[in-house]
Amino acid sequence: MPEVDLTIEICGMSGDGTIAAGGLLNAALSKAGFFLMAFDSYPAEIRGFGRCVTRSRVGMEEMLALASETHVLISLDDEQSLSRVPFLAKNATVFFDNRPPSFVEEGRSIAAHVGPDVTLLGVPFRDLTARATGTTRGRNLTALGAFAGAFDLPPGPFHEIIRKKFDPKGEKVVLANIKSFDAGLQYAREKLDRSAKGIFPVPQKTGEETDRVLLSGNTAIARGALDAGLKLYFGYPITPATPIMEYLAKALPEKGGRLLQMEDEISSIGAVLGSFYAGGRAMTATSGPGLSLMTELITHGVMAEIPAVIIDAQRGGPATGLPTKTEQSDLHAAVFGGPGDSARIVIAPTNVSECYGYTVKSFQIAEKYQTPVIVLTDFFLDNRVENVGMPRAVPEEIFDGNVYPDPSLKDRYRRFERTESGISPRSIPGMEGFLFTTTGLEHSEIGVPDYAPQNHMLMSDKRHRKITGAMADLPAPREFSKGGSLKVGVIAWGSTFGSALEAVRKAEKKGIRAGALKITSIFPYHADIIREFMARCGEILIPELNYEGQLANLIGHLFRKEVQRLDRVTGEPFPASIILEKIESLAK
Amino acid sequence: MKTSGRVLAEKVAKIKDSKIFSIRSSNLPTWCPGCGYFGIHQGLNNAIQQLGLPHHEVVTVSGIGCAGRYPFFAHTYGLHTVHGRALPVATGVKLANPRLAVFAVGGDGDGLGIGGGHLPHIARRDIDVTYLLFDNSIYGLTKGQPSPSSPVGFKTKASPHGTTDAPLNATLMALSYGATFVARLFAGDPEAITEALVEGIQHKGFSFFHIYSTCVTFDKQFKTWDHLHEWVHPLPDSHDPTNLKQAMDEALEDQFSLGIFYRQRKE
Repeated sequence: MPEVDLTIEICGMSGDGTIAAGGLLNAALSKAGFFLMAFDSYPAEIRGFGRCVTRSRVGMEEMLALASETHVLISLDDEQSLSRVPFLAKNATVFFDNRPPSFVEEGRSIAAHVGPDVTLLGVPFRDLTARATGTTRGRNLTALGAFAGAFDLPPGPFHEIIRKKFDPKGEKVVLANIKSFDAGLQYAREKLDRSAKGIFPVPQKTGEETDRVLLSGNTAIARGALDAGLKLYFGYPITPATPIMEYLAKALPEKGGRLLQMEDEISSIGAVLGSFYAGGRAMTATSGPGLSLMTELITHGVMAEIPAVIIDAQRGGPATGLPTKTEQSDLHAAVFGGPGDSARIVIAPTNVSECYGYTVKSFQIAEKYQTPVIVLTDFFLDNRVENVGMPRAVPEEIFDGNVYPDPSLKDRYRRFERTESGISPRSIPGMEGFLFTTTGLEHSEIGVPDYAPQNHMLMSDKRHRKITGAMADLPAPREFSKGGSLKVGVIAWGSTFGSALEAVRKAEKKGIRAGALKITSIFPYHADIIREFMARCGEILIPELNYEGQLANLIGHLFRKEVQRLDRVTGEPFPASIILEKIESLAK
Repeated sequence: MKTSGRVLAEKVAKIKDSKIFSIRSSNLPTWCPGCGYFGIHQGLNNAIQQLGLPHHEVVTVSGIGCAGRYPFFAHTYGLHTVHGRALPVATGVKLANPRLAVFAVGGDGDGLGIGGGHLPHIARRDIDVTYLLFDNSIYGLTKGQPSPSSPVGFKTKASPHGTTDAPLNATLMALSYGATFVARLFAGDPEAITEALVEGIQHKGFSFFHIYSTCVTFDKQFKTWDHLHEWVHPLPDSHDPTNLKQAMDEALEDQFSLGIFYRQRKE
């Protein structure tokens, strides 16, 4: 089977139906059996007037990252699409409206701005749509139809997806949209020179019409929380975490839970702590500015040993920063933020499936270790769409993680007993004979304030023992290499890991002994495993989307010499090509 | 001598009789002798006892301050949280397990200063939490700075020339935020506190208790026992606690009338 690795972009002005067309394209290609990763960008400002771009990378195996070049550009508005021309791959194909409205000035057509290697496929989107349906509104679907026709894609999955999407609006709307699509499809089949340079039919995956679903990182998190038995959600709107709240606002009440939009992030984490204290699973999701507001109460959870689950969807910082851009610069804040020695658990998924799985797991871990768990994601991971096998939580993952006191201890219960593991059995209000008061003051084993020097030593040790012990339940680093000694070892976290792995695989193909280590447990981290990997590497490269090299700061000391940092703060996902370049130069 | 001995013996017998020790924690309060908070403590303990609430189904949530220490002295589940955040934490507790009786307690600095942004929201959401605001118009635990309810001209080490900021009117605030049960009381009258609490605890929804108290150690000029005894008086007989407008007028015009200001009828 020929290898497929296509990046398709749709670009238009808001109002052209760009994002909608991208969504339909992704759904239809997923239905047709391809793997894909997609990421949209649209204007950050509310006026909703600006350039919209959807970007889908399609292939026959799991997609690790976005590609930096575009093979197919579908232009719904040439003036906007001109900005995408520099990203076209050699021999790319461009679909454009060759009968645009008369107000498009001569010379502003995209046809005048692409290189001679590009195949230009002019399709009168507006005319065709108007003839088929009487309006030009469905021209985004006509464009999709032209793409499907030119690339020999079966129309079936597209029809099915269009029907599903527009069904709530009635049969008339469904038919109009199908007609729009078919007009483009037919035109491409009949009129376009499909033998022209640059046209490469997409091979159809045989059999196995897949049950994969299109999920964004945010949706996967929300579904993971629901499957884990989330009872209460408390949150405050903030980009890019808001979609989690919006998903749960609908889905949580259907499962008997409740969502409260709180007055700020402080009250959100406060209510989460209150809920876990009373035995109910709760969650909040925020971004950097909100995380900083939560910090004091997060350390309260550490000190008072109350579980909490916090999603931190990172965006560009500091302060308000770049709200709609991706970055991985909250690691320091998540791991170290707040007063005192307040070790807490921080985990970071690297793809959509892990967004689901780690959210599920975080509840149990928070309960068992009686401490806040922060799940770090980033704008790109939150908003990108992957088609993944529908993840399902297995029962072992969603069991109550609480460790309850032995009933025989009734009336002589010591809530903060210093056990070997540091985990002290925790009673829940409603349990008779196990009353206690929890406090953010340093306290004795029975929970009353105690500032004695020895007590603070012993209790600090107990709390940190617990966090170290949690490593047993946290996902260990995973190595992707041919094993043995490696010239370059790349260590990455979050959405950057996909790019790192892609770069490593390409380096291997070029004959470089490279390997990738995926780190998902940010704190506590598995120092022994990381050290063992590092010991086999000539150079260690840590690419990350922040300026200060925050993961490198955390684990760099495990390497015998300086680690190589590759820090980027462009607001965009980490391009695999840049990591590959660095691997090549280090391997020399 | 003999008489006072008998009086003392009678009082001890009365205290033993009251089963107060089954409600009080074995941790003795750390408040200064003569502190108004003892009266509030007694008022709340008696209300819990009168209603027969099982202690293991009561949660007391507090922030930071002298009043914040309350949970340690109560024989209930307790959450001594960070400064100003008792109300959101109490919201989480109540929603997670509605069977629990949830009390939030805190001082005027905790509830009107650092935590002032939470009162409107628990009130408008009408979460079934009973909130006791211990209002002595001073930061006691940090040794006497002016609070958001201190009067203009209040002199402390942090305001040697007297404060210039106008005080907040917590009762009026709670009413305007939409609290469905609002009472103003006085630490010097624990019986009245108990009586009002018994009603407020049974109220299905948020209930707010604005309780005037003293700080005998750091405030010798404003809310002293002598002053408060002189100033406070019951709401007029004509007061109709179902009339929100009347309650707001009353709160606006007389800052020392006590009683149940407002009670929204619930189905």
